[in-house]
Amino acid sequence: MRGLAGWLRRRAENVAAGLLAAMFLAFIIQIVFRYVFNFPVGWASELTVATWLWLVLFGSAFVLGEKEEIRFDLIYSSVGRRVRIGMAIVSALALVVLYGASLKASFDYVSFMKVEKASYLKIRMDWMYSIYVIFLVAIIARYAWLLSRLLRGRDPEAGDVTKVSSGL
Amino acid sequence: MSTAFTLCLLAIVTLSLLGLPIGHAMIAGSVLYLWVKGIDLGTAAEQLLNGMYSSYLLLAIPLFILAAEFMNSGSIMDRLLRFCNALVGRWRGGLAHVNVVQSIIFAGMSGSALADAASSGKVMQSLMTRDGKYTPAFAAALTAVSSVIGPIIPPSIPMVLYALISDTSIAYLFLGGVIPGLLLGGVQMALIGATAKRRNFPVEAKVPLRELPRVTWEAFPALLMPVILFGLLYSGVTTPTEAAAAAAAYSLAASAVLYRSVRLSEVYRSLLGSARITISIGMLIAGALVFNYVVTVENIPRTVAAMLKAYELSPFTFLLLANIILLILGCFLEGTTILLVIVPVMLPTAAALGIDLVHFGVVVVVNIMIGLVTPPYGLLLFLMVKIGDVSLTELVREVMPFLWVMIGALALMTFIPEIVLFLPRLLGYKG
Repeated sequence: MRGLAGWLRRRAENVAAGLLAAMFLAFIIQIVFRYVFNFPVGWASELTVATWLWLVLFGSAFVLGEKEEIRFDLIYSSVGRRVRIGMAIVSALALVVLYGASLKASFDYVSFMKVEKASYLKIRMDWMYSIYVIFLVAIIARYAWLLSRLLRGRDPEAGDVTKVSSGL
Repeated sequence: MSTAFTLCLLAIVTLSLLGLPIGHAMIAGSVLYLWVKGIDLGTAAEQLLNGMYSSYLLLAIPLFILAAEFMNSGSIMDRLLRFCNALVGRWRGGLAHVNVVQSIIFAGMSGSALADAASSGKVMQSLMTRDGKYTPAFAAALTAVSSVIGPIIPPSIPMVLYALISDTSIAYLFLGGVIPGLLLGGVQMALIGATAKRRNFPVEAKVPLRELPRVTWEAFPALLMPVILFGLLYSGVTTPTEAAAAAAAYSLAASAVLYRSVRLSEVYRSLLGSARITISIGMLIAGALVFNYVVTVENIPRTVAAMLKAYELSPFTFLLLANIILLILGCFLEGTTILLVIVPVMLPTAAALGIDLVHFGVVVVVNIMIGLVTPPYGLLLFLMVKIGDVSLTELVREVMPFLWVMIGALALMTFIPEIVLFLPRLLGYKG
């Protein structure tokens, strides 16, 4: 089970790195075509925003570990174990309820977008935006799992501030 | 302000305090708002997706991160340090000056202070503390404060975010940061110079002047990067986002030439590292997009502007207040959050008071960067505690004198707008 989870995580990392590489390459193609051949390629520019959207939502759902996310943990990391478990239970529960409540409406919005197509890539927008539904489901599942562990008294990991991936 | 909005704010603040990632807290709080207001809950999805999908400008962020990661992998830092040592190592407190000059040059390649500290921190720490030349706490403190310059001298990730929320030109914001960045480096070096004798800082072995051309040549690939970036931005040849992509391509090529080969594993490591940072900032941006919808529906910035108007603030008092608020918030909050949540509320007032938004943007970014070294919550402090293996208390004690001179420099650039606006105006800014 643990081996499988690790394997899946590494494949998710491959996807994230691949998406960023695709974004980078699409930019290079766009620059070369526009300035060298004087021939703008719209699909490349569309691909860059698509990879950006997918990278952030896919990555947040499957790549980023608990410790890397930007959070305010002055209190969280300084309280005792029992209080921390309590805090984590409340916040996980709130997230599961609120994201859960918005799931159906979000799915409806995304599937409604099938009426539009990306102008150059000709991909239906409901496919393009489907990553949001995947993201919601993954986050709800992750926090529900976390919640079940917390309720059994497992200590949540205290954050490690030096691991925060802030871009500042 | 409606009850729904109060609930929304309360939820975001509480969930953040409870330790939920801030991006999720903002989305969840906004969903609660929609729920209470009876607005379709799919609106959150709509705002987030359309916002992310149309924010072409933001793509500069992953590309600048990638450029710095590519530059970082390898011997470029050593070459850069040798170059800085040849320049300023001969002064008393030579290595301390090298630390600052290195940060200034690195700032021209990277848009992130944490990236600067993470990449040069270890090397600087071992160089400075070898043979007991400097105390570990001083060395770590200096790396922390000099890294602050990174996003003030272009390129700059926080400035890209500011350009997004304020609709100002990235190119002029970048230009506006040049003199303030140099000023901050200048006051840091002046402080080192002023205390060097008293603290008996050592002098490095002089590098003979005839060595200088060779040392410069070796550091040349790194020194060329800011030149290329500026060239592309200000000749108007490419968009800022494309300039960022070109910078990333250049740094990949430069490190390939220096190594005479590209190691795929290194490239993959750089890609994945950049992707992780991109994802975590991206989530914050996503949260801010949804929350900003709520803020717009509630008309908050205008309400605040009207409220402040009643006090008949002068631009001077407003700027003073803004600085104080941002510095205090910087002691407790992560900077991106301040930039995406608090600053948009200030913008309409600043504009109404006739404050130049490029000037204001640079002042805001300097504030937020100083926030990275103010206790109790300062990401650069935490990073250097780990790299330098020093206690937070010792580190903070060494940081304090630098903090005061940097706040002094901040006051100068706040109240003498020309410090910021001279270069942009020279290159055609009409503000």
